[in-house]
Amino acid sequence: MPEIAELERTLDLLREAIEWPATPPLAGRITARITAPAQASRAWFQSRWALAAVVVLLAIAGLIAYTPSRDAIASWINLHTSITRVNQLPTPSPLPSGPLGKRLGLGEPTTLAAAQAKVGWEILVPATLGRPDEVYFQLDAPSGEVNLVYKSRNGLKTSGQTGVAVLITEVSGNVDTNYFGKMLGQGTTIQDVTVNGHQGWWISGEPHEVFFADANGNFRSETLRLASNTLLIDEGGIIVRIEGDLTKTQALEMAASLS
Amino acid sequence: MEGRPTDGDLFTRAQRGDKVAYEEIVRRYQEVAFRTAYVITGSSADAEDAAQEGLVKAYRALATFRTGAEPRPWLLRIVANEARNRARSAGRRHQLELRLAERFRPGDAAPSPEAAAVAAEDRSRLLAYVNGLSEEDRQVIASRYFLELSGEEAAAALGIPEGTVKSRLSRALARLRERVEESPHA
Repeated sequence: MPEIAELERTLDLLREAIEWPATPPLAGRITARITAPAQASRAWFQSRWALAAVVVLLAIAGLIAYTPSRDAIASWINLHTSITRVNQLPTPSPLPSGPLGKRLGLGEPTTLAAAQAKVGWEILVPATLGRPDEVYFQLDAPSGEVNLVYKSRNGLKTSGQTGVAVLITEVSGNVDTNYFGKMLGQGTTIQDVTVNGHQGWWISGEPHEVFFADANGNFRSETLRLASNTLLIDEGGIIVRIEGDLTKTQALEMAASLS
Repeated sequence: MEGRPTDGDLFTRAQRGDKVAYEEIVRRYQEVAFRTAYVITGSSADAEDAAQEGLVKAYRALATFRTGAEPRPWLLRIVANEARNRARSAGRRHQLELRLAERFRPGDAAPSPEAAAVAAEDRSRLLAYVNGLSEEDRQVIASRYFLELSGEEAAAALGIPEGTVKSRLSRALARLRERVEESPHA
């Protein structure tokens, strides 16, 4: 039997003999893609972008409360979140098929009590919504991440992006990396808000893109997806993200009732 | 000092919106990006799409690249994620089949010494065994030996922790050795 070391040497030698398909000349094509203002690869995205462009024309005078001047300026907002304003949103990753938790990258299904046993903070539940329909937990954030799902509620629409009425994500403020990332097109607005004396941000308008980082702070591109209106708050050291096709008033009421 | 800019310099410039710097980054990485995607998808067409889409996506996400981090694993992670998404798409499953370049194939027209002919047979047989391994084994062996990815880069490309790369590689090599041993030519 060949020794493993010998096998490894043979594999090293084999490398020179392998015939790879010719590498396509990508550099020029990619420069063309990132330079052209609206050269998306999917028809639905182009039409969405055309709509966003109209919204920009209507809204440019005053709706954008946060307006970095360049197309790729990241801004820390002290909620372990980077927010980048871009001229053209990247193509979101296709959502995986399967159950909700897998599709949205929420982690493993669990119960509120079981999730509570795994995290070092008191999981916050909005009194206006009551107990969640589903609870998920995952360890991607160093202190864990809890997701509360509200499938439907009176007076709340189902989000076209998540397929549920409200999605609440909670991580501990001890997360020391840039955990959430958001990319906003020009049709999305961001405003400062205050909830029970805590700082927060309300992101609304055209769907924006959200993604998550892994435990090392690296961007996980497979999590890049379109998101509905989102309220992001620092609730006494717990970062809470509330997403849904919500009005600002609805989201603020939910946040104010977290306990 | 004049000279070839480092990858770090290029990333810093690209983060400031310098598209020429990003084009140079792509030139440096397009081959390893494309081949990594090919190992994952098993299809050169899918690999081309994945590498192109991944490198565009990486440009859009440059704000998330941490200064001082290693750029290669960061880029490969994004391209490999694109490749996996394509590989998962229903009805588009291809099995990676690595081939020997013509001049290394056994029985090639050019006369060669007996020793070289035997070596060619060995290479061909070993590559057939690699192609016959499970997808997981094949990918980890191809990443480490054929693409020469570091442990960190292979972890990024395969979407697994670095420690798992080591254990998976160890098991894959053991299985490959078994196949070689079982071979009537061993």
